[in-house]
Amino acid sequence: MDLEIIILSEVNQAENDKYLLHKPTDNEKTYVFLPGESQGQGSLVGCRLWGHTESDTIEDEPPLLEELGISFDHIWQKTLTGLHPLKVADGSIMNETDLAGPMVFCLAFGATLLLAGKIQFGYVYGISAIGCLGMFCLLNLMSMTGVSFGCAASVLGYCLLPMILLSSFAVIFSLQGMVGIILTAGIIGWCSFSASKIFISALAMEGQQLLVSYPCALLYGVFALISVF
Amino acid sequence: MATPVAPAGGARNGAGPEWGGFEENIQGGGSAVIDMENMDDTSGSSFEDMGELHQRLREEEVDADAAAAEEEDGEFLGMKGFKGQLSRQVADQMWQAGKRQASRAFSLYANIDILRPYFDVEPAQVRSRLLESMIPIKMVNFPQKIAGELYGPLMLVFTLVAILLHGMKTSDTIIREGTLMGTAIGTCFGYWLGVSSFIYFLAYLCNAQITMLQMLALLGYGLFGHCIVLFITYNIHLHALFYLFWLLVGGLSTLRMVAVLVSRTVGPTQRLLLCGTLATLHMLFLLYLHFAYHKVVEGILDTLEGPNIPPIQRVPRDIPAALPAARLPTTVLNATARAVAVTLQSH
Repeated sequence: MDLEIIILSEVNQAENDKYLLHKPTDNEKTYVFLPGESQGQGSLVGCRLWGHTESDTIEDEPPLLEELGISFDHIWQKTLTGLHPLKVADGSIMNETDLAGPMVFCLAFGATLLLAGKIQFGYVYGISAIGCLGMFCLLNLMSMTGVSFGCAASVLGYCLLPMILLSSFAVIFSLQGMVGIILTAGIIGWCSFSASKIFISALAMEGQQLLVSYPCALLYGVFALISVF
Repeated sequence: MATPVAPAGGARNGAGPEWGGFEENIQGGGSAVIDMENMDDTSGSSFEDMGELHQRLREEEVDADAAAAEEEDGEFLGMKGFKGQLSRQVADQMWQAGKRQASRAFSLYANIDILRPYFDVEPAQVRSRLLESMIPIKMVNFPQKIAGELYGPLMLVFTLVAILLHGMKTSDTIIREGTLMGTAIGTCFGYWLGVSSFIYFLAYLCNAQITMLQMLALLGYGLFGHCIVLFITYNIHLHALFYLFWLLVGGLSTLRMVAVLVSRTVGPTQRLLLCGTLATLHMLFLLYLHFAYHKVVEGILDTLEGPNIPPIQRVPRDIPAALPAARLPTTVLNATARAVAVTLQSH
């Protein structure tokens, strides 16, 4: 990392702080002179170590979350779309690949399984990775426009949320009776319906919702199998 | 004052892409001020100038290197002059040819788009094909149509995997070397791909009119019967029910496949060979799937409901425990055997 030197200009001190940012080239020794705060020449005060990406003033920097691409509003919108099966999905919200939400949901799913005494984080992540890969291949084969892996993983991850409800129910009550079977079937249907609805609207595959929802149902069925047994 | 610094920008443009953003931000923000002209530092070796100087020196160096490289003889692996040039050209050509071949092969074999036409289906089509797979057609005089699609068969194989997993979980199967998921996937896909290939090979020997894709589709849809039977009998554990379904549902789907193959094969021997093999393998697979994961359940039930076994059980030497104790002379039996005999007698 290069040393980035900040020098306060003496001329316009009264206004907002103005900085000179100078990136020294390699093998160059530089000194910083800060008026009013320096302890004489040669002192190194107010020096910041920065990488090459930030080259602007503090005020002009975008907020950290925006730089990282995490937008809470979008995450919330996608979560609501995944949860509400009858809400019409906007195809464009899935254009941006966001894996932060799905990662958190997988972790939450594993945590609720842990509460039920099943330590199966590996299975959850393994099955979700393989399942996403399978759905990615299938959707690329079935749709006219392709889909990226991130988009498929993001959609499947967001629609995993009802499964977390099932596994948290399994913490207290056993799912192996008739009530459990009906609840499991309902939740699987809910998850796969939401996922297929978003895929259909994003890929313009009208009339094939059943064909897309069945593989999603199989994938979520495997997750349900982990929750129930 | 928001005067952008021209020399700084000029010097920095050569340094790399990171400097371009700096200039943009100056014009947009207005708060990054570099006003070197107004700086009080008149030492002559200001930072800007130093930076500029260094950059210029470095660029000159790079240019000199490049010029020197061109002017040089162009050594290639230690061979100078004409030989070096020639060998470099040959090496380049070989590299280009190799790259072209590799990219052609990759685009041919790793191109998933080859399979695209086989997934172009409507839900109504899939539904009708699923129902037709259970209905054998009697007309064997002319070749029957086989739908060449892979969506239905693939989904049926995955469904079979899911049902198998469910069965394994309910019967508490423990697989020591591997995972349940891996075993289920291996079994189902192995059957679908392996038996399809084998029957296709036999069809080639028997001169039957069927392609590999059609064979895959036929066998895939034939697994629909298996899915139904296993789904019902993994949940209702009745042997008689299973045998009934095995003959009825399994038999229907097998008959359908056999009828299609017969319509596409000429000659009685060939027909017998091909259809006999397919029917045997298909029916035996269903039998295997049911009993492989069902036996464990039965074994556990027998153990739990069997006769009460005492907690400490020592096997007597040379004396079979099944013999009634009265027949053996008491002097032969040791204390342990006597205890066991007594226990057995009480039952």
